[in-house]
Amino acid sequence: MSDVGQEKDKLIEDHEYDGIRELNNPLPGWWLMTFYITIIFSVIYFAYYQFLGGPTLDEELAQKMSVIESVRKEAQKEAQEERSENKLRALALNQDIIEKGRAEFVAKCIACHGDKGQGIIGPNLTDDYWIHGNGTISSILTTVEEGVLDKGMPPWKGVIAPDVIQSVAVYVYSLHGSNPEGAKPPQGQKVEYE
Amino acid sequence: MADGNQVSSKLMDKIVYDDDVVKKFLFATIFWGAAAFLVGLLAALELAYWKSNLNLEWLTFGRIRPLHTNAAIFAFGGNIIFAGIYHSTQRLLKTRLYSDILSRIHFWGWQLIIVGALITLPLGYSQSKEYAELEWPLDIAIALVWVIFAVNFFGTIAIRRIKHLYVALWFYIATIITVAVLHIVNSIEIPVSLFKSYPVYAGVQDALVQWWYGHNAVAFFLTTPFLGLMYYYVPKAANRPIYSYKLSVIHFWSLVFLYIWAGPHHLLNSALPDWAQTLGMVFSLMLWAPSWGGMINGLLTLRGAWHLLRTDPIIKFLAVAVTFYGMSTFEGPLLSIKSVNSLAHYTDWIIAHVHGGTLGWNGFLTFGIIYYLVPKVWNNKIYSQRLMNNHFWVGLLGILLYYLSMWASGITQGLMWMAVDGNGQLVYPDFVETVMRIAPLYYIRFIGGVLYIVGFFLLIYNVWMTIKTAPKEEKVASVEVSSLAEKVTIGTGHRKLEALGAIFTVLLFISIAVGSIIEIIPTLSIYKYLPAASKTRPYTPLELAGRDIYIKEGCYVCHSQMVRKLPFDVLRFGQPSTIEESMYDRPFQWGSKRTGPDLARVGGKYPDMWHLRHMIDPREITPNSIMPSYPWLADKKIDYLSLRKKLSVMKRLGVPYDENMVANADIYAGNEAEKIYEGLLGQDPSLTEIKDTEVIAIIAYLQTLGKKTSEQGVSQLKR
Repeated sequence: MSDVGQEKDKLIEDHEYDGIRELNNPLPGWWLMTFYITIIFSVIYFAYYQFLGGPTLDEELAQKMSVIESVRKEAQKEAQEERSENKLRALALNQDIIEKGRAEFVAKCIACHGDKGQGIIGPNLTDDYWIHGNGTISSILTTVEEGVLDKGMPPWKGVIAPDVIQSVAVYVYSLHGSNPEGAKPPQGQKVEYE
Repeated sequence: MADGNQVSSKLMDKIVYDDDVVKKFLFATIFWGAAAFLVGLLAALELAYWKSNLNLEWLTFGRIRPLHTNAAIFAFGGNIIFAGIYHSTQRLLKTRLYSDILSRIHFWGWQLIIVGALITLPLGYSQSKEYAELEWPLDIAIALVWVIFAVNFFGTIAIRRIKHLYVALWFYIATIITVAVLHIVNSIEIPVSLFKSYPVYAGVQDALVQWWYGHNAVAFFLTTPFLGLMYYYVPKAANRPIYSYKLSVIHFWSLVFLYIWAGPHHLLNSALPDWAQTLGMVFSLMLWAPSWGGMINGLLTLRGAWHLLRTDPIIKFLAVAVTFYGMSTFEGPLLSIKSVNSLAHYTDWIIAHVHGGTLGWNGFLTFGIIYYLVPKVWNNKIYSQRLMNNHFWVGLLGILLYYLSMWASGITQGLMWMAVDGNGQLVYPDFVETVMRIAPLYYIRFIGGVLYIVGFFLLIYNVWMTIKTAPKEEKVASVEVSSLAEKVTIGTGHRKLEALGAIFTVLLFISIAVGSIIEIIPTLSIYKYLPAASKTRPYTPLELAGRDIYIKEGCYVCHSQMVRKLPFDVLRFGQPSTIEESMYDRPFQWGSKRTGPDLARVGGKYPDMWHLRHMIDPREITPNSIMPSYPWLADKKIDYLSLRKKLSVMKRLGVPYDENMVANADIYAGNEAEKIYEGLLGQDPSLTEIKDTEVIAIIAYLQTLGKKTSEQGVSQLKR
């Protein structure tokens, strides 16, 4: 038998199951209100998005992406001005930039190009021969950014931050002529260095 | 013959309850509980420290995670449900179970299925549909055992001595009917071999049916039966009346009607049509109050018994369980709001949410019931109150560490994925960086798991000692009741319905069928959502072979294949995934968690050699990766011959392969593999041993992801 204490008058007659009794307490008001509010909200929400012209997921995405695209274009314009070969060559004199590029190179590039740029799956980056571009920092930068999908070089733009990508290109440029052990034989066109 | 005693014994029936089967199910609960928790602990450790898989393929995360979920839900959860239902139903209906034989077939059948899961899942026999991974022979076995359970249960209702069905029984009926419907509909598949099948649903259909099932496995396996158990064991243990009968009626019917619609909240912002997503979200919101109806009725039933919290550990377990139920069912609707979901989905927040429910609600309710039942059915006092108390506190601390660490992990990683800087670039474009940030939290989660298991071992010891010191002579649980037909008022309205078991069951079926039909049927006409001329080609034979290896290894456990319609997903992974792209995917591989990055558009992103080296040792490419190494893929040969049968089953399911390709699938695949092999060999002549191995097939599959849709369409296949 349930221990009902003060609530004897609330016991429902006949409701007894293996000694379990039931009280006839009403539905709590706040509970009922919560239920009604979620139902009303749901009806309005569904109607707005499905019948009353609320944006579809595709429309919402397109709108947000166009904002991002315009921000990106702005940023790109600024970046373009900073990537002339002369400016990049100036960076190549800065040991900090080279070190920053080296750190990223170790993290992302050595799997294919080797820890000294000697080439494994990817080509040797230290000799006078280039398959893509002409060995200038700006052409290296373009290759790193855009990748060479046919050959399996992924595009790193958007994966590596713009300033870091620049330092990687600078670092690769700095490897020229380092003649590491186990260097892969030359591939591509010989480039005349000054 | 007119002896007075004999007259009275004619009028009184002596019922002997079948508590032997209850004992059996209790043993099984404890045994499989330990297994499920330990496998979970190993899985948790593997995310913190990948080498703890010992480099054994059977122990990799992709294979044991399904083992953990299935064991926890269906072995630990299932056995306590059966123990509790069989124990309480006999007493609520004042009758022995319908059939002793069926009870035993039910028990042994269920244990055999669990053993089957324990063997097949680590071997990689998996359908990759979450909580429905078991292959077709086990699916059939589950359906059969479930029918036996249903016959036994409804048979018991048919021979009942108590006319009206108590609320616990309503929840049991809802469980038995709905789980049967869910399991059968989600498991319609065509066998290819003894342990391989393809589902009849493809892509978006499969996704919707699976999450209709998956969500309602939570609803009708981890919620309704446990609510039924709560309605019996909480008032029993606290010796208090149920707070509100009216609330029982309202929250029961609203819960079972609304729950079935909520599945699509697992697919928010995906390629699933907008209307289905919106339905999934709003029905999840509406579920908040009906769920809390159960919590209120549970907690307020304890009102007036609060002093027992100090003295009775069973009440502590039950009260905390119901509180966790309330927390989880508030968090669930919150996570279903599209914007919240865009942060939380694919992260550990979902893992936190799930474990709040399972460890807190299901686990603690189960422990409370075990501590209540063991002394009852073995006719002894519990061996140690102190150990019960210790179990409670250690377990609770374990849950809190688990919950808080995974919350922190999920929200941290979710915010990192979303972060876009002022230049429109991702702040953390490198996925592994976001993994490194949360890795320490995986150790804290592991410690939480250890504590929870330590508590469980205290239970095992306590239960063992209680049984060991129990009186040797079997106590026969019996009760005498009047054999004369009860003179009861049937009543009107819902009260009348409670006396009409069959009509109650039919109404229950109708209320779960409505949402199911409205959501699933339109999606079955998938072609409504596809362009008139399909631009997508089916998988080539080798790609299909690779796909089946991807499924076998459980890659979907950590990698999604669904770029959502969210800017930060698009910036990171490319254009949003379309319905068309997965139209030939049986089963779909959209995934539910991103421990690693999305793979929907990984095709062509890296060279074959990158994938080869990454598969054999991911750390050679990504130094901080936590992905397991898969060296065995480079040893095992591709099963070319099975491809003929596989393609013919696919063709039967409507995939446009021509006769020639089906008949020569093995040759086609061999030629494809040869090309990839030659390419790799050209770069590294020492690779001769990888010829015709599985790694070649999986490379072919990965390289086609996001690449099968083009102007040439199906004609691409006929190269």
